[in-house]
Amino acid sequence: MLKLILQIVGLLLLLLALTLVTLKLKNQNADGPSVLFPGGALVSGELYQGAEPDWSFTDDVFTIELQTTNPDSSRRIFVMESGGKVYVPSGYMRSFLGKLWKDWAFDVEAGSVQAVARINGVRYERTLKRVTDPAVIEGVATKLAQKYYGGVTPEAVAQISQSVADGDTWIFEMAPREED
Amino acid sequence: MNNATYLKLCGGIGLVWVLGLLFVPPFAELIESLMLLFLSTNAS
Repeated sequence: MLKLILQIVGLLLLLLALTLVTLKLKNQNADGPSVLFPGGALVSGELYQGAEPDWSFTDDVFTIELQTTNPDSSRRIFVMESGGKVYVPSGYMRSFLGKLWKDWAFDVEAGSVQAVARINGVRYERTLKRVTDPAVIEGVATKLAQKYYGGVTPEAVAQISQSVADGDTWIFEMAPREED
Repeated sequence: MNNATYLKLCGGIGLVWVLGLLFVPPFAELIESLMLLFLSTNAS
């Protein structure tokens, strides 16, 4: 009986390993991410050129595709407009999972700030800037709570703001691309 | 189940599993969704 249980556990572990390796390899050079696994560079879609958009249209967008560089990789991510600017979050940053999963955020913090966001099929070239100013964070936290936490309550906003202050959640502004 | 049979079974199921992930998009999306659900409820 014990042998059978060990064999079943072994098979399940094998399937888990095969899944992780297969989906990671399958997606790493794809034009965009899958549900969970990062993709490669965002290549399809019109490249936006023009005046700074009115980002309030992202209120109706649940997730966007965000590509960072060095290395080129992309993932699906929440998006929040606040005060005419647009932001993306990265959570679990102090957890073991975050250190494995959110390597892109650490890369941005280390200087790989160039990014491309694909929203509704249109690509926007942006620069990522980490934001910690509490005055800015309050507005972003309010929008984050409104869109993704089931509604704005003082408790939800305070909890998100505290998470940012503690470094568990990082907020990046997707600022206009700076000319070289 | 003896070891030889077990290894053949693992190889067969593993092969079908990988081919399913590669060539049956709804299967890959289902597995990813289950993994995401697990991670989102267990991440800390």
